[in-house]
Amino acid sequence: MSATAIGAVAGAATGVGVPVAAPAAVSARGLRKVFGRTVAVDEIDLDVSAGVVLGVLGPNGSGKTTVIRMLLGLCRPSAGTVSLLGAPMPEGAGDVLPRVGALVEGPGFHPFLSGRENLRRCATFEPAVPTAAIAATVDDALARVGLAAAARRAYRGYSLGMKQRLGLAAALLVPRELVVLDEPTNGLDPAGTREVRRIIAELHAAGTTVVVSSHLLAEVEATCTHVAVLQSGTVIAQGELARLLEGDAPVLEVITDDAPDALAALREAGIPSTRCRGGVEAELVATSAPAVLTVLVHAGVAVQEARRRRTGLEELFAQLTEPGSEAR
Amino acid sequence: MTAPVGRLLRSELRWVFRRPRTLIALAVVSAVPVAMGIGIAVSDQSSGGGPDALIAEAFGNGLVLPIAALSVTMLLLIPLIVSMSAADALAGEAAHGTLRGLLLAPVGRIRLVAVKSFGVLAVTAVAVALVATVGLVTGLLVIGNGEQMLTLSGTSLTTVEALGRIGILAGWVIVQMAAIGAIGLAVSSVTEHPLVVMAVTVGGLILFTVLTTISALDWLHPVLLPIGWFAAADVLRDPMPWDGLLRSGYRAACYLLIGLSLTVARTVTRDA
Repeated sequence: MSATAIGAVAGAATGVGVPVAAPAAVSARGLRKVFGRTVAVDEIDLDVSAGVVLGVLGPNGSGKTTVIRMLLGLCRPSAGTVSLLGAPMPEGAGDVLPRVGALVEGPGFHPFLSGRENLRRCATFEPAVPTAAIAATVDDALARVGLAAAARRAYRGYSLGMKQRLGLAAALLVPRELVVLDEPTNGLDPAGTREVRRIIAELHAAGTTVVVSSHLLAEVEATCTHVAVLQSGTVIAQGELARLLEGDAPVLEVITDDAPDALAALREAGIPSTRCRGGVEAELVATSAPAVLTVLVHAGVAVQEARRRRTGLEELFAQLTEPGSEAR
Repeated sequence: MTAPVGRLLRSELRWVFRRPRTLIALAVVSAVPVAMGIGIAVSDQSSGGGPDALIAEAFGNGLVLPIAALSVTMLLLIPLIVSMSAADALAGEAAHGTLRGLLLAPVGRIRLVAVKSFGVLAVTAVAVALVATVGLVTGLLVIGNGEQMLTLSGTSLTTVEALGRIGILAGWVIVQMAAIGAIGLAVSSVTEHPLVVMAVTVGGLILFTVLTTISALDWLHPVLLPIGWFAAADVLRDPMPWDGLLRSGYRAACYLLIGLSLTVARTVTRDA
């Protein structure tokens, strides 16, 4: 991949991703994980400030789940360090995991037990739940994800969406400082997806730090304040969502019927521009939107509409991850 | 910060004994003494008492039935149940993705091995106790003669002495089966396929049993777990010789120690 394009994106992230004042909820340095001869992830640096919603975005197989498993101490990095809520992982698992809720690699429950029995088992192993409060905690959690009516049914009879919701209920059994959700909307219908978004928004509003992975761009765009983009096991872009959406080469879309005249005028003024549907696009590299419009108006071009094109995370994602795209 | 261990153990028992396959397996193993009792009661002893000296001994000797039933089921059926339980304990949890949930709760990894070992031991003990109890009841009801137990040495023991012998044998069988459970747990900690655990554990037991019959390999015999299982019949001798039972008990303890050490070593480094 081309170093300059990525460098520019990473540059935009620097200074934004890690506000100096806020303590890091998650901090990873030089993470590497090798399975046999396969390097699953390599050179991962990740910083998640307290209170942010970080979207870990990447195509299937990009190493999202492996990174999450290392963050949570489920597997030991081949190299590098992880600090979770201030404790080194995996050594500090016993101290910090009670304050962390997680749904990793889909919901894991026993098919022969009911939803309630499964959740009860989770609550029993949860240090933060007092023994006397197990039953009430389980009922609350079931109600929160809308499974109260199906609580007595065997897990094997649950739909994909119900299974996913039970997984969320387990992650949110008690109030958490950090919630890690690996592909939480997998298998959910649009209503279920909205529900997950609502839950994430509520967690964010309550000040909980959230790390959510997805291969769906819309999902990250809808729920996250920050994003880290993974490709082939490395972070290729990281930072505040709004900054990354802007990208590094903003473009002004000008809708006009006099496209040839507009193009000529802009080129004369030394502004790189191209034809597009309904008008021209001017790159705002060494110039500003008002300057472009001034050039066009002075040239007598009838400008109907001008808008800054939002780069869109989808486009960024495509730029960063699609083979043969210009960012590589 | 960890959850109280008592409630973890209770939860494990609840999980183990709610599982349909545990209940089915326990029902099957309980059927063995019943079948043996009925078979002995309806058959004619004079028509050739059968190959097993203990089964022959149970003719008209109801108190011997639990001992005969234990010595039969410990060869294959109880090891099968124990290895199934060990397979579910770690490999099964990994296969369902629930092991991750337990580690995230979190339950410490050594504590997890302790809880799981407890669950396997509970299944083992219940299976042995069921065979002994059902064998005793069946023996008394179907074969009769609960006043005394005729020993292989030709003497007879009182009912109380007989119950003591049954208890000694049951405890000894639990130790032998726990050794198999520990090996099963060790295998269970390296795989997420429960069937691999059963194949290795039960297959290994059968292999070891075959090896005990090959006299050219007698230098290997002292380390084979099933070599000492002939000592089961010792509880029917008078006076009872302890050395065979003890020696096989020590052997089982070695297996137990090795199995649990491997399980802990593997579990603390396992990627989940």
